[in-house]
Amino acid sequence: MSATTIEYKGSGDHRVDMHWLQQALEQDLSPKEISKSTLKLGSEQVLLGDVFSIDGKLSASELSLKNSSNRLDYVGIGLPSDKTLLVEGDCGHYLGQQLAGGRLICNGSALHYAGCNMQTGSIEIMSNAGDYVGGSIAGNKRGMAGGRLLIHGNSGDFTGDLMRRGLLMVAGNIGDHCGNRMIAGTITSMGSVGKNAGNGMRRGTLLFPSKPASMATGFNDCGRHSLGFLPLLMRDIRAPESAFQALHPMRRRVQRYLGDASVDGQGEVLIWIG
Amino acid sequence: MMKWRNASVARWSNIPAQNHKLMNINGVFIEDTFAEAFPMRATRIIITGINYKWARHAAETMTGFATSVIGCKVEAGIERELGNHETPDGRPGIAVLLFATDRKTLEAQLQARIGQCVLTCPTTAVFAGLEGEGQIALGKNLRYFGDGYQTSKQVDDHRYWRIPVMDGEFLCEETTGYQTAIGGGNLLVFARSLSQVLLACEAAIDAMSMLPNIILPFPGGGVRSGSKVGSKYKTLSASTNHPYCPTLKGLPDNVLDKNVEAVMEIVIDGLSVEDLNLAMRRGIEAICDLGKAQGIEKITGGNYGGKLGPHHFYLREIMGGDQI
Repeated sequence: MSATTIEYKGSGDHRVDMHWLQQALEQDLSPKEISKSTLKLGSEQVLLGDVFSIDGKLSASELSLKNSSNRLDYVGIGLPSDKTLLVEGDCGHYLGQQLAGGRLICNGSALHYAGCNMQTGSIEIMSNAGDYVGGSIAGNKRGMAGGRLLIHGNSGDFTGDLMRRGLLMVAGNIGDHCGNRMIAGTITSMGSVGKNAGNGMRRGTLLFPSKPASMATGFNDCGRHSLGFLPLLMRDIRAPESAFQALHPMRRRVQRYLGDASVDGQGEVLIWIG
Repeated sequence: MMKWRNASVARWSNIPAQNHKLMNINGVFIEDTFAEAFPMRATRIIITGINYKWARHAAETMTGFATSVIGCKVEAGIERELGNHETPDGRPGIAVLLFATDRKTLEAQLQARIGQCVLTCPTTAVFAGLEGEGQIALGKNLRYFGDGYQTSKQVDDHRYWRIPVMDGEFLCEETTGYQTAIGGGNLLVFARSLSQVLLACEAAIDAMSMLPNIILPFPGGGVRSGSKVGSKYKTLSASTNHPYCPTLKGLPDNVLDKNVEAVMEIVIDGLSVEDLNLAMRRGIEAICDLGKAQGIEKITGGNYGGKLGPHHFYLREIMGGDQI
């Protein structure tokens, strides 16, 4: 079955809420029905067909969002496990929020909260992502809960805020407060990491090539170790095509910092050595 | 061997006389009978270590005192060595198979043995080695040894526990798979001398040990103390299989020919019928390669008239014909 194309025609300066795509998928609406439904742009109601054109059926396993823009929020929200969404262009906030097993590829950048509260599945962002990647929307107690989130560029502040499970990979640099209030899971990077990493971290792993600009004060230096689980983790990290494939698959020697003691945490910051 | 499955004195009377066709391989008579075996539950684990020495220390310790489900609750053995490329963490490893009569016993024995013999062994880690029909605990309960300092890591839908220990971390997978398997496949070898029967059994054991999915749980793979059901002493449920004891030749119950000086048994546990078929074939081939010239008189199997278990391994079918 060929990919179904959804083309964004533009919405002026207005932001577009892409929740409609999740509802259309759940209700298996035809392109005609979708075009006739309404969408709120600012204070106005417009026909969805005026903002998007759809070619093909949404029952297709592969969907393509063309001409995407950073004005499109909630792209791929709740994407189910039988769907792949290819986004050509940038995305707005909340890309892949609550992803439910689907595969989401954005060949541009994403704004804040990409992959927040995602459950399972994978998100790949070819360029940069904003703040709170893999985090939690305001009010939720837990962030990303599973799956893999791969950013080929940089990510902003509070990457992995309240992260619960899963693998968050940033090929470039990470901003400040990485792993803030992290509950579990793994965040790794091939670049530099900003200030206050691991603040309020309870469990989980931050795995970096060099020490962050600063770590939360509640971290203790546990010394150098060869950790047996790292080769297992490396299989996951090296699986997708990315800069991480440069890492040796059997690498296991790290400097370990344990914290954040201020919350009685047993999270760890691991720095590759050797 | 104190095993009820090798017990019936009267088994020869259960075999119709017309089935006693001649089958000789290199002069070794293959009896027209079957080896009887029974269903078990089995699991495989992979023990890795900084080198083979330490992985093997753990594997040998945890498979100790695991010859028979009767006395040991579990039958266990080393299946084979695994190269670095075959183990989850890229270190030298040993594959271990464990067999028990039911899932609960298998799980209890596995945890006890991992806890006492692998957790304690320097540098080792343990992983699931079988997908199986269901899952049993491996590190799931062992993690509490970490006293709250244990952490888990989920990779590819597998959960691993990291337990702080004095040489770093003990890494163990949360669960391993188990499956229905077969216990008690066997061969009985008759020879003109003790040294000749030992030589034959060693050749068979070497050949069978090369195969995957099976273990030979008894010491060195061989069994000298075949037993029968019951005893003249009421407190014993099994006693020496005196019809096969060469020092009792000439007594009314004894079935040994006068030129047979020793009998030895090889017991095989395997994951499937095909695995046992292949193992028994390789074993018989190795014994028959030595042939009558090396003093091997006969090969038979432990036949209990179908009372022991549903798995019947017909020796002549395994060897591919009625006569050779």
